[in-house]
Amino acid sequence: MPKAEELHRKELTIADADAIRREAASLAGVSPIHRLISATLRYEDKQTDTPVLIGATPYYEFVHSQYVDHGRWISDGDMEARSNICIPGVDVAHALFPYEDPLDKDIKINGNTYRVVGLMEPLGNFFGQSRDNTVFIPITTYDKYYPDLPSPESAFFIIARPISRAYVKSAMDEVTEILRRQRRVRPGDTDNFAVTSQDSLLDIYNQLTGATALVLTAVSFVALMIGGIGVMNIMLVSVTERTREIGIRKAVGATRGNILSQFLVEAVCLTAIGGVAGLIVGEVASLLVNKYSPLPAFVPLWAIAIGLGISAAVGIIFGLWPAWKAARLDPIEALRYE
Amino acid sequence: MSDATLATPTGASALEHGEVLVRDAVPAALISMRDIWKTYQMGSEEVHALHGVSFDVQKGEYVAIIGPSGSGKSTLMNLIGCLDTPSKGEYWINGKNVSEMDDDELARIRNKEVGFVFQTFNLLARATALHNVELPLIYAGMSSTERHEKAKQSLAAVELTDRMMHKPNELSGGQRQRVAIARALVNHPSILLADEPTGALDTHTSYEIMNLFEKLHSEGNTIIVVTHEPDIAARAYRVISIRDGMIEKDERLR
Repeated sequence: MPKAEELHRKELTIADADAIRREAASLAGVSPIHRLISATLRYEDKQTDTPVLIGATPYYEFVHSQYVDHGRWISDGDMEARSNICIPGVDVAHALFPYEDPLDKDIKINGNTYRVVGLMEPLGNFFGQSRDNTVFIPITTYDKYYPDLPSPESAFFIIARPISRAYVKSAMDEVTEILRRQRRVRPGDTDNFAVTSQDSLLDIYNQLTGATALVLTAVSFVALMIGGIGVMNIMLVSVTERTREIGIRKAVGATRGNILSQFLVEAVCLTAIGGVAGLIVGEVASLLVNKYSPLPAFVPLWAIAIGLGISAAVGIIFGLWPAWKAARLDPIEALRYE
Repeated sequence: MSDATLATPTGASALEHGEVLVRDAVPAALISMRDIWKTYQMGSEEVHALHGVSFDVQKGEYVAIIGPSGSGKSTLMNLIGCLDTPSKGEYWINGKNVSEMDDDELARIRNKEVGFVFQTFNLLARATALHNVELPLIYAGMSSTERHEKAKQSLAAVELTDRMMHKPNELSGGQRQRVAIARALVNHPSILLADEPTGALDTHTSYEIMNLFEKLHSEGNTIIVVTHEPDIAARAYRVISIRDGMIEKDERLR
């Protein structure tokens, strides 16, 4: 939950972005963006209501490493003239122009006419969210049409790219420094803005998935123990039921080792079949998750190897005692067993 | 044991210079039991199932061991079959001293030297006749082709070639016992040891099985039959009677 102070913060401005671009030495590029959560786009009889409208600058391509596929990107001239040009993402292009080349066509965005000058390259999904359902216009044009839209419907971000990975920390320090000055934060007061890096997002992601993996590992360990005890039980019953068979085998010359390995192999077969069944279930589950949920899922080769290895090991560990019991049976007693 | 010629009947060396000491003489007989005792602990009491039994069986003999229940004949059979070891005394089979062997050595002796035939057949219920006969060869470590060949020959010897792929529950009692005999003989053991082989069979089938034993004996097999039925014992050439853990009589019939 955001704090009251956070809700009443002064918005960042393009001037802040310009200041950062001028002063920060460890940055290679700065890209301010305005973002409208959704816009209505229309071309002839086709319409789409979901795309994100982004007001961007010429720096956007380089800072985000997202480039125009064909056509052109926003130019300095577009910025100056606040021209009505747009660059749609792949999803938008498909929705409005299923059979035509969108370049140089005029479309309506929230009722205003724009000329399509370029097409964004496909970016794919992130957590099931398409990153291609977007349309870009010059940030100056955005300000022309949406000067006073309140947050969060319209949001302003400044995205910056450091010279290299090694400069992430110093870039964050510099940006903080510059913004404090721009926004007149007194020394000793806390920041009234937030600076985050991709690394910190990555940390949160890793923490989440790491914790999930840990819980799942614990659960599967318990499941393996329960399964193993089940296997041991079945093998003990099997040894008792087959006491006479063991007696016969011993009478015709089976050694303790022969009997031991016979029952161990049976236990391992049992758990290996379980392992293969689990593998099939896991594979199917991951396919379903991939298909029907936003999370990407697949079964890596090492997991298959470890899964089969552990299920075989469970067979050996929990089969050992029953097998040993079978091997130690006295042949005379075993032959007499009814 | 190659210096056995130096040994004396007492088992101790009598050489004047005493260079070689041979403790045990290897008996010439196929089976040799010397002063065998078997004692069980029942609570605080010691029960002697066998009190100093001694006898020899030569190669090619057909011997019946007869005695009422509780006479110690089952104990004796278990010892002859190397399923158990004596508390005291020495037991030699085919030149090997079995008395002090451990479990795995006994298993190997059972595999190579003894062919068992049981009253209740003791076949593996879920395996075919052929597989049952192959079983001792598996534990002998034989390759599968060789095993197949030998098992087929053995089943042919008991006239069951046409029932090879049948399971025990698809066979008559007499046929089951013949499978068991084929299994007993497949590894060419020193002795065929039968425990009440006709106990679960009707008179007619019993007669057939005893004829088969007679035939096997005539082919040079050494046979020991443990029974409590006098007319089964009467088919043998020598009868050893056991009573109260001792040999009561050891007589040659023919």
